Amino acid sequence: MRVGSYEFKLAKRESLTGWRAASISILAIFVALILFSFIFIFAGINPLTAYSEIFDYAFRNQFGLPLTLNRFIFLLLCTCAFIVPYRAGLWNIGMTGQFYVGSLAAYGVLFVFGIGGASETNYSAWLLLPLMLIAAALGGAFLGSIAGFLKGRFNINEIVVTMMLNFITFWLVSFFIKEGGLFMNPGGRGESFELPNSLRAPVFMDVPFTIIIAIGAAVLLYYMFARTKFGYQIRAFGKNPDAASYAGISKFKIPFLVFVIGGALAGIAGYHYFAAVPGVYKIARNYGTFGDLAFYGIICGLISQGNPLAAIPIAFLFGGLSIGGRNVQGKLGMSFGVDFALLGVLMITLVAFQFFYRYKIVWTKVTKESLDVGISN
Amino acid sequence: MSQVKVERGDTVLEARGITKRFPGVVANDHIDFEIKAGEIHAILGENGAGKTTLMKILFGEYQPDEGEIYIAGKPVNFRSCLDAIDRGIGMVHQHRKLVPAHSVIENIILGHPRAGKILNIKRAENEINELCQKYGFNIDLKAKVWQLSEGEKQIVEILKALYRGAEILILDEPTSALAPTETEKLLESIEAMAKDDLSIVPFITHKLAIVLAISDRVTVLRRGKVVSTVDTTEATERSLAMEMVGREVIFRLKRTEVEKGETILEVENLSALSDKDILALNGVSFSISEGEIFGIAGIAGNGQNELVEVLAGLRDLERGKIRLDGQDITQKTALERWKLGIGYIPSDRIHVGSIADFSLVENTTMNYYFDGDYQLQGSLDYEKIRALTEEIIAEYDVQTPGPETTAKSLSGGNLQKLILARVLSRKPRLVIAHLPTQGLDIGATEFVRNKLMEAKKDKTGILLISEDLDEVLSLSDRVAPIYEGKFMDIIPGEQVKRESVGAMCAGIYLDEDEP
Repeated sequence: MRVGSYEFKLAKRESLTGWRAASISILAIFVALILFSFIFIFAGINPLTAYSEIFDYAFRNQFGLPLTLNRFIFLLLCTCAFIVPYRAGLWNIGMTGQFYVGSLAAYGVLFVFGIGGASETNYSAWLLLPLMLIAAALGGAFLGSIAGFLKGRFNINEIVVTMMLNFITFWLVSFFIKEGGLFMNPGGRGESFELPNSLRAPVFMDVPFTIIIAIGAAVLLYYMFARTKFGYQIRAFGKNPDAASYAGISKFKIPFLVFVIGGALAGIAGYHYFAAVPGVYKIARNYGTFGDLAFYGIICGLISQGNPLAAIPIAFLFGGLSIGGRNVQGKLGMSFGVDFALLGVLMITLVAFQFFYRYKIVWTKVTKESLDVGISN
Repeated sequence: MSQVKVERGDTVLEARGITKRFPGVVANDHIDFEIKAGEIHAILGENGAGKTTLMKILFGEYQPDEGEIYIAGKPVNFRSCLDAIDRGIGMVHQHRKLVPAHSVIENIILGHPRAGKILNIKRAENEINELCQKYGFNIDLKAKVWQLSEGEKQIVEILKALYRGAEILILDEPTSALAPTETEKLLESIEAMAKDDLSIVPFITHKLAIVLAISDRVTVLRRGKVVSTVDTTEATERSLAMEMVGREVIFRLKRTEVEKGETILEVENLSALSDKDILALNGVSFSISEGEIFGIAGIAGNGQNELVEVLAGLRDLERGKIRLDGQDITQKTALERWKLGIGYIPSDRIHVGSIADFSLVENTTMNYYFDGDYQLQGSLDYEKIRALTEEIIAEYDVQTPGPETTAKSLSGGNLQKLILARVLSRKPRLVIAHLPTQGLDIGATEFVRNKLMEAKKDKTGILLISEDLDEVLSLSDRVAPIYEGKFMDIIPGEQVKRESVGAMCAGIYLDEDEP
């Protein structure tokens, strides 16, 4: 293509540095915001006002920021749950189900100890909190392991299995918490019994300790992939399963273990949202909404290209925009769904801009002579 | 379709001076060749002799660099397969080109000029059924192609070609994937086609017995040239084998004699299934000692893949025992075998032996990640592996900008050097080298062979599997020709005769070798 006296061409990138990838992503975010500003313009709202409302509430407001952080923790855990199998070339579409089972397992601990529905308990939080956390991880890991086992042993498509388990577990949660269910709230209301006050997760500035787990998981995973033997085995399997088994890497263990790890992380997200986020402390009636939100782990995982460190800012951004978008919708009287529309536009733009991970635009100044040649042709 | 009506015995297709060059090789070197109406004309040759290239030229898939093709005396210039199909040439490839989810009849009419506008399945069905009856094909036209056996799929391809009006039918290795009963039926149909309808059926195969039983004439190719064209009645299996393999003096790499040490590998009565659940390896027994190169000669697909994969721990075996240094390793995993000292150089260096997107350091890691010496506090010691990679690059003269380059940027020869170096640097007890020089240029080939010789001097036992007869014969201390999953014999290196081994690879014993 030629503009003025410049010739523009697409060229394949030889290599891509982390910083270059980051700057492409930031550019994509700006483009997405510009595109979405048309929505505000059509609604008769100044986009700058709208965006300042969104960002102020999401990242600076004393009420908004904790919401953002809580959602960030949830998204980051789901993103890591996606990334681990993704690096082994496998697709975990089942964070939703693993999240549900994690929540159920956490509340199952209370049920087993006979304190379901009690508002106080004599059991020490030092005993029950770790137990709930471990149960949530094991629950998610168990669900993940089904897909991993079937993939490793019989080469059954993991996407189908995880997807189907999402539906099964959705109704399983319903079965447990709705009227007549084992975990039902004594008052009915279609939600689970509440967490005793003494078992609420430690909170610093309205943010539960699970933030340490989420960020810690991302950092550890990064290290695992970069340096450890297990990380190497996963990456080798992901890039070329035949070469991996040539090198003695088990075709069963890798799929099985990546789904166990991924499932455990998504299970912890279940503990986080329903037993640690201030103001919730029960499996909510609208648990399906959070289940849907777990799918954003796929988006964040793909945008970060399987890099757990890159997932941290991306999950933070998505968490913030979903909170800020919801707020601006109410505040400026916009129609329903602004938050999800904004996330959607952002997602499409980020994915589209990944084109520039592989290609770059190069331009050369066209000299006078070659212009003449061009004309004579 | 050719417009000229031909009579039995007329020359229908003639090729003169066909030459085709690929980078580094002359695949076809001034080939003259003709086919008569109603004739079954077999083309015979070793791998790489140029059979497939010639057939692809006749079918318009390749354009020759030199030479002309005449059909019924008129020069033709095929720009693509479509031109060839329009002139009545049909080809059945060795690799099936069908749509698995579609039915037989849908596959047959796919691409037929009449099927472009309105489908008249009923009419097509009747016409195809007629063809089936005439030539004795027995196939359910409504069945989906994925349900069919290899032999049935081949019938579909033949029917497809016939239905498009083929009068010259080229069959590439038609019996290679078939069970014996299927082969018999196919041969009957081929004879029916040749007799009944003046259909003309060239035939390409390594299997000499089949060639002799069915064909009228045989053309033998070697290294891209026509060695001879003879009437089958004047040929014997022995004469064909000799022409195919050639009798010229072999350049022998100087084989260093190393005193044999203890037995490293013992294999007893090993059998294994192929991916298609056919018994591909059928009761093989042998042993390899320290400082010995044991060579397996054979044409691809006679059980070599299965043997190698079973030994490397990548394929389940049906029967048999494998012992390494006296220890039974039959049930050991691939990883355990690496640790016990088996080093495996796979034939597919791009898809199995290396990981394209990984750096050279990470590719070296493939054989070192499990090694305690290359770990540091629970992590992989990438610094140490990088140092090793740099050593390999220097010692083996791998042409690359550096150890962080990806493997996909290496040329085939350099990649093979890296894999070889990686495996040999572990100082394995036993090296399994599967087609170690396939596709390499002369320099790299020489290098790889010398390195194997060096390993032999270090008392490594080496299993060499190659389709290059000269390579096996010049390197090996003992040679086992393999045919249909069995060793025809195990011959000490000094007693090996090239013609005998070549014949055994095709499944026959020359008179003096009869066991």
